Amino acid sequence: MHEASIAESLLKIAVDECKGKGYTRINNVRVCIGSASGVMPEALLFAFNALKSDTIASGATLTIEEVPLAGRCSACSSDFTTNENFVLCCPHCGSSAYTLLAGRELDIKELEVD
Amino acid sequence: MKFKVASKILEANERIARENRRIFSEAGVYVINLMSSPGAGKTSLLETTIAGLNHTLKIGVIEGDITGTDDAVRINRLGVPVVQINTGGACHLDANMITEVIPDLPLDKLDLLVIENVGNLVCPAEFQVGEDMKVMILSIAEGHDKPLKYPLMFQESAALIINKIDLRPFLDVDVEKIKNDALSLNPSIKIFELSCKSGEGVDQWTAWLQTLTS
Repeated sequence: MHEASIAESLLKIAVDECKGKGYTRINNVRVCIGSASGVMPEALLFAFNALKSDTIASGATLTIEEVPLAGRCSACSSDFTTNENFVLCCPHCGSSAYTLLAGRELDIKELEVD
Repeated sequence: MKFKVASKILEANERIARENRRIFSEAGVYVINLMSSPGAGKTSLLETTIAGLNHTLKIGVIEGDITGTDDAVRINRLGVPVVQINTGGACHLDANMITEVIPDLPLDKLDLLVIENVGNLVCPAEFQVGEDMKVMILSIAEGHDKPLKYPLMFQESAALIINKIDLRPFLDVDVEKIKNDALSLNPSIKIFELSCKSGEGVDQWTAWLQTLTS
């Protein structure tokens, strides 16, 4: 349910960046959302569209790139990626000790503006 | 035209959280962000902890709730400084809400500040508020399937308190599974089993708190 807070922060960053560079309208916002970030892309899109009216992003679309979860096993040193939202153990050796390499992203990447 | 932006969406919150943490750290206050489902026993744990520490640590509390002041009234009765935040609907506390109440706390008189987050096993894990450590509670009445259903909370927490263990004879709950699943999600998580009602296991928890703040 916190996608609304995320969308609010996202819009604020986008609007500030756009105005700071002297542009007046945002047409598209591109973001990267990690699969283990806890944010549901559909809910984020819904919140973005609900909150964008009355801002310079009122006509903007939101492009969401989903980043799969990736990790490196601390036991066997192998790297892995998965389409799951969470990993309980290394798919190669079964160890539960691993370092997360990707999948927690909540990043704004690119703005398309006029 | 297009231009690149390299910004974390939650950067604004994280920046405010870092500033809160700096303020707490300079005042010598250790800060715990306490999270759980509604009804797992956050306020009861605070009451039990305050009584168990018996003034050996000077504690302050920030209560986070959607609405109401019931929790702050309970803590205030124990003579502990407490501030109530009402989020007005938001399902978690964020760093800015904490910043706003810092002036209401006597930080120079505190060793430990516990921020009781809004009851919710999902969203509070996402937002830093300026804490040194996240601690979560799971009451055994919630069931042994919770670690694997709400993994982020277990991954983010430095300690897991398994509460209401006095109910064990009445429930079909596998406490070992809770512990094993929590450890597989977070091998370094520190686990305490206790009952705020019977007092069983509370000593280990309060002794650990004292080591953190000493």
